[in-house]
Amino acid sequence: MSEYLVGVDIGGTFTDCVVIDDAGAVTTAKAPSTPDEFARGMLDAMTTAAGSLGLSITELCKSIRLLAHGTTVGTNAVVQKRGDKVGLITTKGHNDVIHIMRGSRGVSGRDVRKVTHFPESQKPEPIVPKRLIEGVSERVDCFGAAVVDLNEDEVVAAVDRLIGAGVNAIAVCFLWSFKHPDHEQRVRAIIHKRAPQLFVTCSSDLVPKWGEYERTTAVVLNAYIGPLTSGYLKQLKRRLNDLGYRQPLQITQCGGGTISVEKAMEAPLLTLDSGPVSGVTGSKYLGDLLGYANIITTDMGGTSFDVGVIHDGEPAFSYMSLVNQYEYFIPKVDIQAIGNGGGSLVTVDEATRTLRVGPESAGAVPGPVCYGRGGSVPTVTDAALVLGYIAADSFAGGRMTLDHAAAETAIAELAVKLDMTTFECAAGIAKISEFQMADLIRKMTIQKGLDPRDFVLFAFGGAGPMHASVFAFELGLQKVVIPQKKMASTWCAFGAASADIRHIHEHVDIMVSPFDAGQLSQALESLKERSSEQLLREGVAESDQTFAYSIDMRHKGQINEVEVPVEGLNIASHDLDALHDSFYARYEQIYGKGSSFRGAKLEVVTFRVRGSAVTPKPVLSPATDLTPDIPEGAVRPKRSIYWTESATTQDTPVYDGEQLLPGNVISGPVVVETPDTTVVVHPGRMISVDVYGNLEIGLVKPEETNG
Amino acid sequence: MTKVSEMTDVVFDGVTEPYIPGPELNISPKLKLHQTWETDLDPVTYEVVRHNLWNINEEHGATIQRLSGSPVAMYALDLNPTILTEDAEFVYFGPYMQYMSGVTDTQVKWILEYRSDNPGINDGDMFLANDPWVGAAHQMDVMLICPVFWEGELFCWVTNCLHQYDIGGMTPGSFCPSARDSFDEGILIPPIKIIENMEIRRDVEEMYLRSSRKPEMVALDFRAQLAGNITARESILGLIERYGPKVVKGVMKRVLDISEQAFLDKMAKLPDGTWQDRSYIECCRPGDRNTYRVVLTAHKADQHLTFENEGTAPQDGAMNATFSGWRGSVIVALNQLLCWDQNFAVGGALRHVTFDPTPGTLNCARHPASVSTAPTQSMEISLYPAYNVLGKMIYASPDLRGDLMCIGGTSQWPATIFRGIDQWGDRYGYLLIDPIGGAIGAFSTGDGISTGGQSRTPICKLPNIEHTEQTFPLLFLYRKEVPDSGGAGKYRGGLSAESCFIPHNTDQIVQDTLSSGNSVPTSTGMMGGYPATTNSYRFIKDSDILERMSARQMIDDADDVSGTSVTLQLRQENLIQNPTDVYAVMWCAAGGFGDPMERDPKSVQGDIENLAITLDSARNIYGVVLDETTGDVDLKATETLRSGARAARLGKNGNGALKVEGESLLDLTDTLSLRENGNGKRYTCRKCTTDLGPQGENYKAHCLQENATLDHANPLIGDPHRFIDDTPEFRQFFCPGCGTLIENEIAIAGEDLLMDLHVEI
Repeated sequence: MSEYLVGVDIGGTFTDCVVIDDAGAVTTAKAPSTPDEFARGMLDAMTTAAGSLGLSITELCKSIRLLAHGTTVGTNAVVQKRGDKVGLITTKGHNDVIHIMRGSRGVSGRDVRKVTHFPESQKPEPIVPKRLIEGVSERVDCFGAAVVDLNEDEVVAAVDRLIGAGVNAIAVCFLWSFKHPDHEQRVRAIIHKRAPQLFVTCSSDLVPKWGEYERTTAVVLNAYIGPLTSGYLKQLKRRLNDLGYRQPLQITQCGGGTISVEKAMEAPLLTLDSGPVSGVTGSKYLGDLLGYANIITTDMGGTSFDVGVIHDGEPAFSYMSLVNQYEYFIPKVDIQAIGNGGGSLVTVDEATRTLRVGPESAGAVPGPVCYGRGGSVPTVTDAALVLGYIAADSFAGGRMTLDHAAAETAIAELAVKLDMTTFECAAGIAKISEFQMADLIRKMTIQKGLDPRDFVLFAFGGAGPMHASVFAFELGLQKVVIPQKKMASTWCAFGAASADIRHIHEHVDIMVSPFDAGQLSQALESLKERSSEQLLREGVAESDQTFAYSIDMRHKGQINEVEVPVEGLNIASHDLDALHDSFYARYEQIYGKGSSFRGAKLEVVTFRVRGSAVTPKPVLSPATDLTPDIPEGAVRPKRSIYWTESATTQDTPVYDGEQLLPGNVISGPVVVETPDTTVVVHPGRMISVDVYGNLEIGLVKPEETNG
Repeated sequence: MTKVSEMTDVVFDGVTEPYIPGPELNISPKLKLHQTWETDLDPVTYEVVRHNLWNINEEHGATIQRLSGSPVAMYALDLNPTILTEDAEFVYFGPYMQYMSGVTDTQVKWILEYRSDNPGINDGDMFLANDPWVGAAHQMDVMLICPVFWEGELFCWVTNCLHQYDIGGMTPGSFCPSARDSFDEGILIPPIKIIENMEIRRDVEEMYLRSSRKPEMVALDFRAQLAGNITARESILGLIERYGPKVVKGVMKRVLDISEQAFLDKMAKLPDGTWQDRSYIECCRPGDRNTYRVVLTAHKADQHLTFENEGTAPQDGAMNATFSGWRGSVIVALNQLLCWDQNFAVGGALRHVTFDPTPGTLNCARHPASVSTAPTQSMEISLYPAYNVLGKMIYASPDLRGDLMCIGGTSQWPATIFRGIDQWGDRYGYLLIDPIGGAIGAFSTGDGISTGGQSRTPICKLPNIEHTEQTFPLLFLYRKEVPDSGGAGKYRGGLSAESCFIPHNTDQIVQDTLSSGNSVPTSTGMMGGYPATTNSYRFIKDSDILERMSARQMIDDADDVSGTSVTLQLRQENLIQNPTDVYAVMWCAAGGFGDPMERDPKSVQGDIENLAITLDSARNIYGVVLDETTGDVDLKATETLRSGARAARLGKNGNGALKVEGESLLDLTDTLSLRENGNGKRYTCRKCTTDLGPQGENYKAHCLQENATLDHANPLIGDPHRFIDDTPEFRQFFCPGCGTLIENEIAIAGEDLLMDLHVEI
């Protein structure tokens, strides 16, 4: 019997499962998610997949080589504010760190209106109330010296009060603990002695980084979702074992790659936002396969437009994350979002003749006007329907019928106020939306010193491929890829299956130039050891481990840090010049030529090691026969579509993407429909099917035009 | 003293008198302005270009933030980027230090008038400027101003302003609390051409850096400012190339026109009238024990608003601000309360606003007054009361009253300026920036926001304690929110916090204080809301903190240590802090809204649960009784306590109260209405319609008045006579019919009643 790679991703509505056999054949399955007991939906999806392979679930489980799973249990708990009752133990006098929120209101990434209009600019509901925060006597200084030893009597009293108050988890965060973890570890031991079952998380384990606010939020969030997530994972592990699964269960994490289930139970915070990150992981896999090292990934669904960047084969990272207005330390594949999706609301001010799109969304309920669920404000999807991009009867693979007349009426009402035709108005809505997307991509590339013209764009999500050919070409990109066949609809599960095992270890040790090469090496060495131990625990032999090193540096006195990659572990004194040079090079790449200042001293701040182990990868087999002949079955009835370029409607060809064959090339204007999305190809562009069945949009080259 | 509008023979050119542009700018014919634009823009192009302009300005700010060298500027976000039209109207400014807006357009207008002939304004030029009489808040706020040209015509301006770490003067850091005049302070630079043909002029840059104690940091910041302008300039040129100059200019003008229309729509909803606020600054030079009155008046007549500062004390000592500082301050509140829905396009509103100050006053000082401390004192006291003035104005419209906000925290800055040798052996000088943690005032719809920042910098962030301790030789004993600090009210003001530290890994720290608002609260409440607490310095000399530390007994309040408590004066210089001296600084919190006795008792219970107030305040100020064992509200006892308190107010002074039965015309505040009967238009208690006098008179004169000491206004306020000789009092005005609290005011004994509102309908 074959051995299988399996990826499972639990989404809001569906749980997706991808099974890949030795030969690279892909089997996918979907089952409804079961929020009351997510494990059930997961096993349902696996059972369905097993069925497609002619196996029982037990047979499948016994022959899985690696199971990678993405969970949203933690994310849901945070979003729905259903986390556990958490207590916090911290340095006496500093109880209010998480309430003060650095004197801000958690406005990072919020719409500017929620920043300046103070009645709408409240802090979030506290995830740990003041009465459940205990300060105990202890103090470490900036050199890591324990200037006040831990007062264990106070710890015992604090723990007892918190247990008495009924907390289900305790977070521990002391000032400067990343320089001196001992006090936190002693608190952990005391708690363990008094309540062995209690979920405990220490900041020096989870995020040994500089900045008590972002460390505190990290541990408190980790504790908040800890019992729920670890309970779920424990149960899942048991049920899989019962079914005969013997290999390690791997969980996808927000830093890309997977971690062992044990690590995920300790650090469930790593699973927040891991779903979209798996999309980037999948993109990297596909990019490697197709030979693209620079990729912009875009995912447009109903409420938001998410963008990730892969440069030189590596996803862009951010080291500060954000959830529910709380900023916290966690190394994470950087995915930025704006409130711009198919459900984004369109508003018009008649007096000023202005038209706005988003950021508010109609969501799934009431949804766009054309859904007929009571929505009365038109959305981007309504505009797409009016333009003819999507058709009332073939939307979402025909799973849902749309009300064209209602959408048209709603858009027409706006158009009148703006003194435009209905088509002009609908096209305008699409254009505004597309330009906002282009602006976000511009921010994530040009503002970081990257040229978008060096990238290809991957477009996912129900609404993305409808607009991608506009915003991509607006930015000068040469090619848009819409991953296809079974992968598209189960993209995150596919990403999970293709993920490596990966652990990111960070440590802050601030040093000023001139640097001591030995100290730098030492700092990286000890992180590497931790990383290696973790991988060993997960059954990865030393020979299979690989490591990448980097150091965050800055001009002394400045706040902004730049991540500088370091080759290998042994930094010799003669390498220091090279380290300086790569700092200046990277700095000027991001901030512009001449922006650095060689006269200033440099500081190193954060040391980082990424430890990885390569897991078996899906092997996709390319088609050997390419054909320009479009099969008859792919042709759908033409429909009337409004094109901005000509400002007229044209009877436009429509194809069934499922039926198109590798080698097919079609010039725009054309629309290609798949069960999951609609690809809109404007005039002057063309769409083709590659050897793996992916759709590609490019510019029409003169010799490639066809009828 | 006379108002600007009454001074006909004076030139307001930014030399001795402030620069105040006239209605027509006098621009040299050598400079060609680009003044043709598309008026018939399609809505889609408009929205796309508008969004782009907004992003260009945002990226401009982000560039400076990434590149600036100074943590003071970066944590306090003491910067702002701007796009202006060719004739210096705002298109956009950023969400950073808000008062920098009002100092920007005047600078640019001055350059148009005084630099367009000689040395000329050309493509590729940029001007450096920090002269507060031309337009800067204080000398450290250095602007870099870049004209953007298209085909030989001046198309628009991109500018930025960034607070510099040190620009010279007698005190490191350039805040000079004991300056006699501006000659003791940092260098003054009227706009000079520092970039020519897109190249830095070395001679000018060297002259600029020469005045600073930290030239390398100023140089780094200058590059950040330059990079910001270059980015914005290039992006705008890119936009013009793509859409054409007429379209881009058309969008700029339309942004202004739309924001103007939105402002006029709001003005149409409001009655004409006059709104006024009065507050006080303390201590203008070391040893001074005086208070200085500050008055802000807004007149609304039809579509037009006029702001005046008449009645404000003359300039004196080292506390002053210039015209541009005062104007910039008022614009902050104007923008946040009336233009928040226009994404910082305040230019349209400004077409209908006149600023008519009285030169020679402390917030419209003449050269060469000392102005380096302006942002911490005279500008804050120009800015925060504007929330009261405009808040009361917009309350009259039910559509707009949800936008009002009471005065927030840090309405005066308790500055802690210190210097010495740090733990790394280097010399340092610093201003503790913790007070930017501020607090946000109560709203007409809910509580304010504890430690929600200073509203004048909506996106600032405190440094982590670990950041401060890494850079400076300090050990923080605590930083905590303070119960009862927020002003009481139907909706409570946000709490402020206190930071407490000792020197660590250094022999000693040399400290200067610089503060006001330590005696007389400056975060007053509104419509019956109470003031927040005052600023406070606590200094415990020769404490036992080190023994406590070795005994593993840390503190969470300065009172927990024993030692000698020393009262620090408000401009004390060269105070030595030794490692056993515990120093705690609390910044003032935010004002409350409405009568505290009207607060939902359940919310009071929540305040106790969340450590926002104390049990004493629950009972004494809010009139709420909580069950001692369960902590739940005792509704019956609460009602008895509250009605007893109202009755007691009447009992003492009560006499027959007349009702006004006529039609209600307007609700003017949460407690006051205007009604009309046979005797004309009358102010009345909103709750019981008791007559509070005719329109045109001060309603307060018809209320029952009680005067109390300030500790009745907020239990944390200490004895004012520690710092000032005057006696401030807490005046309360009750309805003679039902005992409801109509309004409070804080005044120096002997001052007239403040006529805070007067409507004309």
